[in-house]
Amino acid sequence: MRKKECIAMLLAGGQGSRLGALTKYNAKPAVAFGSKYRIIDFGLSNCVNSGIDTVGVLTQYKPLSLNDYLGTGTSWDLDDPDGGLHVLAPYATETGGRWYNGTADAIYRNIDFISRYNPEYVLILSGDHLYHMDYNQMLAYHKQQKAALTVAVIEVTMEEASRFGIMSVDEEMRITKFTEKPKHPDSTLASMGIYIFNWSVLKSALIADHADEKSQKDFGKNIIPRLLGENKRLYAYRFAGYWKDVGTIDSYYEAQMDLLEDEPEFGIFDPNVRTYSNANSSAPHYIGKDGSATRSLVSNGCVILGKVNHSILSSDVTVEEGAVVEDAILLPGAKIGAGAKVIHAIVGEDAIIGPGAVLQGTDDIPVVGDRVRYNEGGEK
Amino acid sequence: MMKRMLGIITANFSGGELGSLTAERPVASLPVAGRYRLVDFPLSNMRNSGITTVGLITPYLYRSLMDHVEEGKAWQLSRKTGGLFVLPGSVYGLKGETDKFLLRDFIQNRAILDRSSSDVVVVTTSDWVYNIDFRDVLAQHNRTGADVTMLYKKDFRANVPGSQFLRMKDDGEVTAIAGTGSDCFLDAFIINRPLLLSFISWYGSVNHFDLVADIFRENMNRMKVYGYAFEGYAGVVSTLADYMQVNADFLSQDVRSQIFRVDRPIQTKVQDNAPTKYGDNAAVKNALIPTGCVISGTVEDSVLFRGVEIAEGAVVKNCVLMQHTKVGPGTVLDNVVCDKNVVIRADTHIAGAEGRPIAIPKNQEI
Repeated sequence: MRKKECIAMLLAGGQGSRLGALTKYNAKPAVAFGSKYRIIDFGLSNCVNSGIDTVGVLTQYKPLSLNDYLGTGTSWDLDDPDGGLHVLAPYATETGGRWYNGTADAIYRNIDFISRYNPEYVLILSGDHLYHMDYNQMLAYHKQQKAALTVAVIEVTMEEASRFGIMSVDEEMRITKFTEKPKHPDSTLASMGIYIFNWSVLKSALIADHADEKSQKDFGKNIIPRLLGENKRLYAYRFAGYWKDVGTIDSYYEAQMDLLEDEPEFGIFDPNVRTYSNANSSAPHYIGKDGSATRSLVSNGCVILGKVNHSILSSDVTVEEGAVVEDAILLPGAKIGAGAKVIHAIVGEDAIIGPGAVLQGTDDIPVVGDRVRYNEGGEK
Repeated sequence: MMKRMLGIITANFSGGELGSLTAERPVASLPVAGRYRLVDFPLSNMRNSGITTVGLITPYLYRSLMDHVEEGKAWQLSRKTGGLFVLPGSVYGLKGETDKFLLRDFIQNRAILDRSSSDVVVVTTSDWVYNIDFRDVLAQHNRTGADVTMLYKKDFRANVPGSQFLRMKDDGEVTAIAGTGSDCFLDAFIINRPLLLSFISWYGSVNHFDLVADIFRENMNRMKVYGYAFEGYAGVVSTLADYMQVNADFLSQDVRSQIFRVDRPIQTKVQDNAPTKYGDNAAVKNALIPTGCVISGTVEDSVLFRGVEIAEGAVVKNCVLMQHTKVGPGTVLDNVVCDKNVVIRADTHIAGAEGRPIAIPKNQEI
């Protein structure tokens, strides 16, 4: 294998259990987002747009739809024999098989994969974050600081801070303290879960951490504190753009409703930043004689015979005559029956809202899970 | 065992009356139905029929065609065994050629026929829109023991220039090919490969002959030719009015369900557009719209292509707007075809008539 300067390892094995019904058949990175995309598209597109041509995707939870979607990586121009996209699932060895047990363990178990490219740097990413970022700029910063590890950081509010890995930095942005999900945060500088490691540093940290039986094998809880303890050069890289971890139904819903603003903060319409996806071959969408679509996003394969307002329609959605869809997210293949009402709600992939049924959310956003049929009077 | 098929698509004629739409592109790469090019239909039909070797006979100006087809990836034709073969066509230029199956195109590309181990060759043009499984045609071809099986559509309107019609016995055996009639030839046929190779040898000195119009006619009594009645929707693009009609046909649920079949999908080159965005005052009725559009005005009875922008207060009716057409605020378009990258400024009124649309050439700003 030709030596690579930097390869990416994208963690895509988590369940995303807080997304509930949406991750019954899909791993979180494979959950549909923003009408045309699946969440993993953003991380993969960032890699490609940053010139990273070797990406290991670590899978574990419900990988079928994710594997199908990734294919050979051709949709992201990652079907490259000299690198490219590799799906890295847990595997058995002569001493037995086991699941990935923590983020650091997942990378540890793929040391062989990384080693064959003999990279200088390894970029660790999460497959479930929404953002556009040029990793080259972060890598340049990492080199300039002569860092062993650079962590991308974003300012959050004090209320949010206890959900994140929070760090304190000195005036040069060198990390002095790192606490994963602190109860009483003493800073609002949050880790985005994007790390650039010098490979030699990462490799020895992974091996040492693996030998530590008390370790939870987690980057935030174990690896970073270990390197801090060793007095390695750890730096924070400030990121100012849009970044979101859609961990909950509420944030998943809000992040998509934000796309309906006139100038959405998340620039999926920016012609200079392309987001690649494994687009389907569905026909253009059709809006019928009595149909309408206002303040909405619509993709291929949709047939709209009813009224759609302020909603996100993924591909191959059908809205039958007389149906009303408002403030809603309809995932790929969802079908809204004639005369049904879907307001302030999420309808899962290939789910069916029966004719005349009413699905109306209030403060809570009701979710009809993938492949579920919802009829008048409740789910069936 | 199923006989094996080799596909040949002739994409190098431009006999129609499409004006500026085919000034810089062959009919084969004319955008149609929102996100497709005409050549997508024969390519997808071949792919959906299990044909894995396809020769594409190209016109002299083939840039737009190759840009779209690439190496055939979208049709699983970028492959180790077989795949897409780009064949040079012998027609120089785009205009003035009406022959659809020039013998010299086959002579010039004889190697693909010689090397093939297929039993039959499926030959089609690229100006028709339909969805077919050629295996059904092949089954009839085998059953009748025909040398050639020609596809036709019953009671198809006869006003298309250059159309050919089949005269058949009750059992479907073709007795003549005529310039008038009601059983319109779909410009597609299956021929036994050895027979096609024989024609190439026999007629080598008169290579300006057309395989169908000249050679089939001349040999009609010496070979067994059957018609295959295609029952589904078929549309052909040879005039500007046809072009509007075929696009408008896709506004019918019936036509869409016949063309966009889950079991036989029409594939095209995939692009990474954002989803289409509808504004607060978008008023869209009976329209076919792909991704990448921004629609703030009124669109009725129209077909849009990728990246079209309709400003607030604009009204678009009975139109076909190709990729990246921009329609300014207050502008009214009726029965207009805009080629790619056309910009219509604010408060402009352009109206053609039904059956007589106005075509605005590529990259124009009005």
